[in-house]
Amino acid sequence: MSTTQKTAKPFAHGLLDMGGPGAEPRLLGNRCRGCGEVFFPRKTGGVCTHCQSEILEDIELSGHGTISTFTIVYQPPAGGFYKGAVPYAYGTVDLPEGVRVLTQFAEPFDRLALGGMAEMVIEKLSVDSEGNDLLTYRFRPAEEREGAR
Amino acid sequence: MREAFISGAAVTRWDYYENASCHQFGSQAVLQALRDAELRWQDVQAVFCGSVYQGTGSGHQAIREVGLTGIPIVNVENACSSAASAFMLAYQMVAAGVYDVALALGMEKMPRGPIPSTAFRDWELSLGFNLQPGNYALLTRKYMEKTGATERDFALVSVKNRANGVLNPNARFRKPVNVEEVMNSRIIAEPLRLLHCCPLADGAAAFIICNREKVKNASRAVRIASAVLTSACYGDEYPPGDLIGSVRFPSTENLVQLSARKAYEAAGVGPGEIDTIQVYDTVSPGELWDIEELGFCREGEAPGLLRDGAFNLSGKLPVNTDGGLLSRGHPLGASAGGQIFELAVQLRGEAGPRQVPNARVGLAHSMGAGPNSAVTILVK
Repeated sequence: MSTTQKTAKPFAHGLLDMGGPGAEPRLLGNRCRGCGEVFFPRKTGGVCTHCQSEILEDIELSGHGTISTFTIVYQPPAGGFYKGAVPYAYGTVDLPEGVRVLTQFAEPFDRLALGGMAEMVIEKLSVDSEGNDLLTYRFRPAEEREGAR
Repeated sequence: MREAFISGAAVTRWDYYENASCHQFGSQAVLQALRDAELRWQDVQAVFCGSVYQGTGSGHQAIREVGLTGIPIVNVENACSSAASAFMLAYQMVAAGVYDVALALGMEKMPRGPIPSTAFRDWELSLGFNLQPGNYALLTRKYMEKTGATERDFALVSVKNRANGVLNPNARFRKPVNVEEVMNSRIIAEPLRLLHCCPLADGAAAFIICNREKVKNASRAVRIASAVLTSACYGDEYPPGDLIGSVRFPSTENLVQLSARKAYEAAGVGPGEIDTIQVYDTVSPGELWDIEELGFCREGEAPGLLRDGAFNLSGKLPVNTDGGLLSRGHPLGASAGGQIFELAVQLRGEAGPRQVPNARVGLAHSMGAGPNSAVTILVK
């Protein structure tokens, strides 16, 4: 008898390390040893697109940063590629490593503010054709707005 | 470089063509442009055809409806700047003396139903990042923070352009809207609402570009002062993907500013000498930052100028005189051709009720996924 065990897995390869017992999930980036530029997602072509140096080292990125812009979407894009919930929020978060990350935001959306802090969380994006949960990274806006000090 | 002129220009009506193929209405634009130039098809020595969703050899298919003369036909896909890119190539070939007469064509029949997007990576598609109003909303939020522009300012852009569209017989939408209608239309991606976003459309634009010797009617010929195309500079912010700006190495001159500077240098004119412009209003706020990035005012000044009426038909710098994309609609591979056509009409003094008095120099700017940025400057 073969029953398929439903599992939960990242929605895409190479973007994040899901962590595990005692290990936090981390976004995967790389850093150029020539100019110091940091990339997310990782550049896989072996070349820094800023200085064309070929020495890129893999790094893990911080799970918190500052919201640099955002939107809340009420009409999903055409094409049927997006299978998550609507409305959804997305935008960019600047991490302490000096890299801007494109991300969805976790609820509550009414806390979203330019300059606000946000923390990475793992949440369910959608379900694949076999019934497995597909997980994504998101950034959850913090209650206090950094710029409001 | 030799002088090169638009001697023939034509567009179809911007609309949904349910019963005509792109090749049919594309070829109709070609024949109209040819008649406008008072030339025969046998005079045309090369074709550059811009489109996005029309598939392999689409320019060839349109030209098969016109005539087979063995000339080179080059198909150009450059997202929303496809027609401007085809126009630039035709211009450069004539200016370089390779051809006496070349045809630039832009045409599009927008896909019905879901649009398979190839401008985004798979992970971006899965996360819903392929919504262009969403990506413009990301830029809009920053623009509001930086300049103090308001949603009402963006509504005023829609109101102005839709008012201009009423006067354009080729526009898809010819009904005016008021500020309240825009501000009450449904939210697509905060802070952008439906009436801040351009609709889609089908259509084609065609231009006969030739040297001075081939101009039949000098009083209607419009000189091409420059046609420039750029792509991203490192650190540019034009979401999504890895084009969300660099924290460490932000660009000091973005691709729009670069294309404008190069176009002004090549044309030998500056923004102060330009009488009317067609800029990229896929979403209303985009018109404002486009005016700023093209150098017509400083950052943050466009909303105030808009409120003062400077960009109206009767203003100091009429912008999107044909109603822009907000009225014409957006047939991706043809859109930039629609802009250049309107400039030609204005500089010829043939714009009727939307004529800008004494328009002598005009600029058109388009941009698209890639990203790319195209600036064309015409002089009468």
